[in-house]
Amino acid sequence: MGKSTEELYSEAEKKLRQEHGRAVKQIREELKTTKQKADSSLHLKKGSKRDLTDFPKDMQVEESEEGRILTINVGPQHPGSGHFRLVVQVDGDIIVGVDPDPGYVHRGEEKMCEYRNWIQNIPHLERPMIADSCGILYPFCLACEEIANIEVPQRAKYIRVIMSEINKCIFELYWLGIYGIFLGHSTMFMWPMGDRELLIDLAEMATGARVTHAYFVPGGVRNDLPDSFKDRAIRQLDYFKHRLDQYKDIFYTNPLFLDRTEGVGILSANDAINLGVTGPVLRASGVEHDIRKVEPYDVYDQLDFQVHTMKTGDTYARAYIPYLEMYESINIIKQCLEKIPIGPVRTKLGPNPRGPAGESFKRVEAGRGEVAYYVVSDGTPKPYRVKISPPSFRQIPAMSRLLKGARLADMPAIYWSLNYWPVEADR
Amino acid sequence: MSGVSGIFKAIQSGTKHLLIRRFTLRYPEQKLKFVGDGYQFDPKEGVGIAGYKGRHILYHDKCTGCQLCAIACEGIAEAIGMVKIDKQWKHNKKSIMPQIDYGKCVFCGLCVDACPFYALFMTDDYELAAYTKEHLIYTPDQLSVKVDYEGNVEIKIDDHGATHG
Repeated sequence: MGKSTEELYSEAEKKLRQEHGRAVKQIREELKTTKQKADSSLHLKKGSKRDLTDFPKDMQVEESEEGRILTINVGPQHPGSGHFRLVVQVDGDIIVGVDPDPGYVHRGEEKMCEYRNWIQNIPHLERPMIADSCGILYPFCLACEEIANIEVPQRAKYIRVIMSEINKCIFELYWLGIYGIFLGHSTMFMWPMGDRELLIDLAEMATGARVTHAYFVPGGVRNDLPDSFKDRAIRQLDYFKHRLDQYKDIFYTNPLFLDRTEGVGILSANDAINLGVTGPVLRASGVEHDIRKVEPYDVYDQLDFQVHTMKTGDTYARAYIPYLEMYESINIIKQCLEKIPIGPVRTKLGPNPRGPAGESFKRVEAGRGEVAYYVVSDGTPKPYRVKISPPSFRQIPAMSRLLKGARLADMPAIYWSLNYWPVEADR
Repeated sequence: MSGVSGIFKAIQSGTKHLLIRRFTLRYPEQKLKFVGDGYQFDPKEGVGIAGYKGRHILYHDKCTGCQLCAIACEGIAEAIGMVKIDKQWKHNKKSIMPQIDYGKCVFCGLCVDACPFYALFMTDDYELAAYTKEHLIYTPDQLSVKVDYEGNVEIKIDDHGATHG
């Protein structure tokens, strides 16, 4: 009888500590078992295939006990993701749920198109993807030409192909540099960024601007190539090819890079088709699909080039396909420089051109995949509707599929291998 | 490739670059050479002439104050406004000429494409930094001055790699 308050307090504290200790012990044991489970399914040998359906049931869905699952916001303030938020639910180290949340950089590009005439639309349509500004503008010009029935001079077609391939390389080097720094490889950040200068120099020489060229217009291109372009292009592309060879030793056969990427985030060919991914992501899963071959535009049907595919479908394949495509781009540019005829480069249009009523759907192969435009004209000087289907938006379903079941540390490697660019996806 | 030899190979390929000259433009001392004399446009042919898209140059003896450049810019950057000028020109009865706000301009050069009188071109001048927003607004008098841009280097490629100058 008559315990002092201090004693009562200490007793209660003791009790709490015991309970807490028990709880901690229980949680640790549980974690240990899940970790063992996860390790048994996740520890992969080189080249072994992993099917996501093999995972233990409790790791596939969010039905685990409450309190075990931790929700992390990745983004929207640039943790490498750009202005894009991933709501990631983790159980220990394993991602059990992903909720991609795009829309932070929505600019209303499609609506803006309806208030500007055909030519005024050119500069702002490049803004969603300034690293590949020709690629995203290209289908708009093709669609306008089809609606208005404009004949494009042969020389302009070749120049367009050259510029879009140069831009493709510029984009892929930029992407590769950031991929390098994502995986902690600083040299791989510096090298592609430096070598990008060789191609930016060529783009600047032809168009007069380093990134946002505003070079393609419906009816051709805005100016002819300078006289010295061919010699300089061949010299710099030869050197660029020599530099690309050096990437192999330091990055693509580097065991540290292989360990981070091989067997991580495997996307089967069936899944890739069903989820609707495009471009290098699709080709890395072994599907031979390239708009330049399937639906040739401009002069791609007269050029000889190869479509690279890889069967593994893992992160390494998705990182390696753009590298092979840079060689292909060099090859295409050189062929074009050989074949390019002399002649006009732009069909003369009036100061405020207007086409007849009509509609057109055009798509091209940009660095990240297929960029498609659906343009409707009602005969006025402004488009009635412009629908943009960027490749980045189409990679989001694959992202949540691939990240589920992966380790949190693999998230940057998988995320960036999908070539996702927030501004382009949000338009 | 086995782990250790692969890592050594990677380090070796990076170490080689210690002996190669750096590929960096040392900017204020070195400036890139550009092709041509700035972006220009030939309204008769309907095609541009390749050149760098930098600050504009306005030829007062050719500008008629037709406002086509301002109309072209309307949906793009809204950087061009027409202002009154003091001097009286025969060909410019309204006495108005474009003034360009470089805080808004995106250097697309579509105003140059719109000019039918060879009055508005672009130059190589890209050093436009200013202390206030007001200083970025260039009046017709400021636009008529041609700054001599002197680029002194271009990319050189030899056996030791690429360098600037």
